[in-house]
Amino acid sequence: MTAAEHLRAGLQESVDDFLRLFASVYFAVSLFAVWGFLTLIGVIVEQGKVPDFYWANYAPPLARLILRLDLDNIYHSLAYVGIIGLILTSLAVCTFKRVIPARLPPLRAVTIERIPLHATIPVEGDEREIRNRIEQFFRAGGWFVRKRELGGEEWTFADRHNWARRGVLVAHIGFVIIAAGTTWYWASGFSGDTAILTGATAVIPQTGAQIKLDRFNYRFDPIQTKAGLVYQPIDYVSQVEYVGKDGIARSATIRVNHPLDIDGTLYYQAAYGFGAQFVLTKDGRVTANSPAELLKEGDSFSVGGDRALEYAQFVGTVDPKTGRPSNDPRPNNPAVVVRMVVGGAAMAAGMIPIGSSIDLGGGYRLAVPRYAIYSGLQYRYDPGMGLVGIGAFVLLTGLCTAFYFLPARLYVKLNGSERKWTLGIAATTVKGYEVFEDQFRELVAALRRAARTGETNACS
Amino acid sequence: MQLDQILLAVAIAAYVTGALVLIAYFLSRSELMLRIGTPLAIVGCVAQFAELGTRWAISGIWPLTNLYGSLSLFSAMGVLIFLIFAFRYRVWFAGGFVLLIAAIALGYATTWNEGFMPPVPALQSYWIKIHVPLVVSSYASFMLSAVVSVLYLIKYYGERRFARGSTMNVAAATPAGSIPVTVQSTYTALADDEIVIGTPRGDTPAIAAAAENGNAVALWLATLPSLAKLDVMIYRVVGVGLPLLTIGIITGAMWAKESWGAYWQWDPKETAALVSWIVYASYMHLHTRNAWRGMRSAWLSVFGFATIMFCYLGVNIWISGLHSYKV
Repeated sequence: MTAAEHLRAGLQESVDDFLRLFASVYFAVSLFAVWGFLTLIGVIVEQGKVPDFYWANYAPPLARLILRLDLDNIYHSLAYVGIIGLILTSLAVCTFKRVIPARLPPLRAVTIERIPLHATIPVEGDEREIRNRIEQFFRAGGWFVRKRELGGEEWTFADRHNWARRGVLVAHIGFVIIAAGTTWYWASGFSGDTAILTGATAVIPQTGAQIKLDRFNYRFDPIQTKAGLVYQPIDYVSQVEYVGKDGIARSATIRVNHPLDIDGTLYYQAAYGFGAQFVLTKDGRVTANSPAELLKEGDSFSVGGDRALEYAQFVGTVDPKTGRPSNDPRPNNPAVVVRMVVGGAAMAAGMIPIGSSIDLGGGYRLAVPRYAIYSGLQYRYDPGMGLVGIGAFVLLTGLCTAFYFLPARLYVKLNGSERKWTLGIAATTVKGYEVFEDQFRELVAALRRAARTGETNACS
Repeated sequence: MQLDQILLAVAIAAYVTGALVLIAYFLSRSELMLRIGTPLAIVGCVAQFAELGTRWAISGIWPLTNLYGSLSLFSAMGVLIFLIFAFRYRVWFAGGFVLLIAAIALGYATTWNEGFMPPVPALQSYWIKIHVPLVVSSYASFMLSAVVSVLYLIKYYGERRFARGSTMNVAAATPAGSIPVTVQSTYTALADDEIVIGTPRGDTPAIAAAAENGNAVALWLATLPSLAKLDVMIYRVVGVGLPLLTIGIITGAMWAKESWGAYWQWDPKETAALVSWIVYASYMHLHTRNAWRGMRSAWLSVFGFATIMFCYLGVNIWISGLHSYKV
């Protein structure tokens, strides 16, 4: 054997090993188990937080493990994407190696008594007449009947729901279509979010669409529950003016569950909040650090050195009796919570009513003269949406086919002579025997009546 | 007392009484108990659906917008699916446990009842009338499959115990002692009228032998269906639950697309549902292998239901996310 032949043989062996491994159901299920385990980690470990969050909320060794192994962003980690890749590979190999080649067993003579589901029925009468009755019985029940002369004996084969053997294949194809749809989104789709203050205009970088927020309305209903007064959010509505590719300005409303479509990109009502104006003065003069624009919750600005002020939270209603935030989110007596951050670490926090100021010491004073509501919009362009929908439908069709239609084959043989016969019948299915046992009993009982009397309204 | 509260009380009373009666049936196989327990299950189920409908009619608010509503539907659907399977496949022996779980779920649900609350904006969608019933029905199906799986395991380990205790090597004589189900060798031909039909000989010979010797536990275990039949029942119920869960996840993704702008946000609820789906998809794949039918797949079904409970209650209650609609 030459070196090239050795190489080819070795390569062939490796390919065979690969195909054998990836076509194995156990391997596929092992991948499922790893996939499930990684997914579960993502459920338990909070995702997408800053490192400080993990150091603060987990024991140091666990926090180190989470950060080192990318468990804080597990769904986008190499391991997670890799396991999905392996599952898709396994699915493809399994489809071509196992599912597609799976064929019906050939029509062959069997020893009826050796098939677990079997029965024999004594029948009297003319052979032709009995055979015709049997055939009519099966055809009336929707069975596909074929006759074969095998080893000098006449056999009748009845098949049902053979097409359902392709259910798994259809389900696998559904997965592939879904994967194609999501890949299409990754390849050419985009998404993002924007927060627009009332009266302001946002330009969407990917599309150039302009969206101006005319007004944002919210509705909270106070509801008395057993646990106390609850302010239940009822509606969030953005009234916007937008300009798409055609350059024409139009008005529209965006509600939760009712996105706005601008040139194929959908805009969703995702959030709202309150922007606040902060004015930092030193000895009565506005400092250079004082922010020029309204800040949103979570924004911060430097106050010199490694110190910064963070706009932590908007408080809609401060209880005038207690001076503490009430659970009414509507801005009736509003304030903002401001936090001092030194060297990245949060320090003291304080509440400043809107329209007032607090002394920060050293001649510094922080005022919050006004606030404005903003609307948070998410946008997304997803060209693969249709494919994902089709894939989901195909997947479901495949699953239902595989679960609810049982491909079965009956082997029927008539033994005997003159007018005394024994009808032998055996059944096989692709899901074992127990699953067909009750139906087989009913079938045999009905077949007995049919074979004797020609009654065909019995059983499928 | 309002009509919905009366119906709720009727449902709980029917479930609790029905559970006790059907557990008595499970232990005694008294037909009288079955004849009493079945109508109680039907009454409880009807009362519960009526209660949900009444809440909807009184308030004009779709009743499945909170944990109280969904748990109510879970117990009602659990009983309904049980009744359908019981009438079709004679799984009455599982009824006591199903009703007990339904009663517990309903009792627990009442602790989350905060009265009539209008839905938050994200829940104001026609999808809530499609997605939630589908998902909750899948949970209910898996509950029934878990109950039958536990009964399978009781019988399976009972067989092992009796096989160990017997003098002859029963485990070697039958596959049921060592491998849960090997269909080929469990069949033999029995005469039935003029027909000779292949039927299961019984895959728990040690239990049968002990029952013949008058062992009370074995006598009771012998009245349960064969292991092979129980395995098929579990498969059938999972075969209902998995497509429902799949449609539920798909409709949830479509709703998420409409509400949040993305099919999939890796929200804890979504990912926990995905974990459950993976477990049951694994069950279905492994059930195609003879070596995995029976005991192993029964354990997998029980594990699957544990993941469902985590997804349903654990995530709702302990982990905050986009699906945190507790009250």
